[in-house]
Amino acid sequence: MIPEGELLRSRVLTDLSPALSDVLDRRLDGYALLASRHSLLGDGDERGVITFEAGVPALAYHAGTDRGGPPALSDLGPPPYQFELYALEADALEFPHRADELRVRPGAVAERLADDPALADRTREAAGEAVGRGREDSIEAFLENEAAIEDIRQSAREEALDRATEWGFADAVGE
Amino acid sequence: MVEAFAVASGKGGTGKTTSTVALGMALADRYDVTVVDADTGMANLLFHAGLADVETTLHDVLVEGGVPVAEATYDRFGMSVVPCGTSLAAFEAAEPDRLREVVAELAADTDVLLLDSPATLNSKSAVLPIVLADRVVVVLNPTVPAVSDGLKVQEYALSYGSDIAGTIFNRARGDIEDITAKADRYFEGPTLATVPESDAVQAARSEGVPLFAHAPDCPAADAFRTAAERLSPNDGDADAVAERFRTAVIPDPP
Repeated sequence: MIPEGELLRSRVLTDLSPALSDVLDRRLDGYALLASRHSLLGDGDERGVITFEAGVPALAYHAGTDRGGPPALSDLGPPPYQFELYALEADALEFPHRADELRVRPGAVAERLADDPALADRTREAAGEAVGRGREDSIEAFLENEAAIEDIRQSAREEALDRATEWGFADAVGE
Repeated sequence: MVEAFAVASGKGGTGKTTSTVALGMALADRYDVTVVDADTGMANLLFHAGLADVETTLHDVLVEGGVPVAEATYDRFGMSVVPCGTSLAAFEAAEPDRLREVVAELAADTDVLLLDSPATLNSKSAVLPIVLADRVVVVLNPTVPAVSDGLKVQEYALSYGSDIAGTIFNRARGDIEDITAKADRYFEGPTLATVPESDAVQAARSEGVPLFAHAPDCPAADAFRTAAERLSPNDGDADAVAERFRTAVIPDPP
């Protein structure tokens, strides 16, 4: 159902928060395969998959129980997990993402698998921003919207300057 | 002579590492090229360059008292390649700020440095390659998230005094000339190339070799070659550039 992506990371994680947070920051399109503790102990193929649209979890499916959506998250159980992260172009995920019964709410993975309400909030915010900036719009329509693009550029410039001092890049500003 | 390029995108999955390696191999015909995996948190250059099994990586250089960078530098596909490893422990022990010194050392001995940069702007270490580079190549897909995040990368780079070398539109399906023409108004630097979506890219990745080793004459490889030609690396005095890396953007000691 989901084509093979490019392996970015494979490791055992006792806490999913940093990995999910990184995926969100990178606005990654792709998916993660998670094997639960049972599977780590050699107790059969208990793998689940979570897909990401621009870093926001979109769907969940558990191969062992053949259940999708929120029940698939329950089936994964608590950490540790063997976590494999793959990049995959958004177009390749478009078809699986039409399966409404597999969908999860944007904050659900952070809440249920990482027990991280702050990350869940940040994920929901990012999902909201994506809708707000017209992800449904075509790229052509987006590029016609000069005011919206100027807003993005201006905000990024302000953010970069704000962080220059914090990061020790102040000397680079205005070079 | 040396010029350092950061190959960057604001979001993951745009084909940035594929682009970095392809540009490197195209430039290696005329220049001495060094490619560095500057994405210490999510290394994947090693998978692209047939280096998945190497023991010593940039992570071993970036730790306190680490090995010399020469020990983590591998000759592959006509380039010098400095990969990062995938071990979490090694990543956590590494001090990304030391990248500055590593880049300075590598700059002394190469014509073109390509820094494969993290696909995020969320931390100092993620932004550092963009700050260190002379010019930034922004890798985009013709999608709203990729272009809007690419614009952010551009504004960060310009704010920190790095120039924009141009944009690469990767994974183009069909004719996207209207899109690149419209996007061109907002990006500094030219559209370096439009790279068509290609099964060869996926096949090369599965094989663990660069696109140029798998299908050097495919349309995607041709497009990367065009991009490399348009980059026209500048001549620069290697010593001066190395010194700049060492001293640039380091705050005064307290």
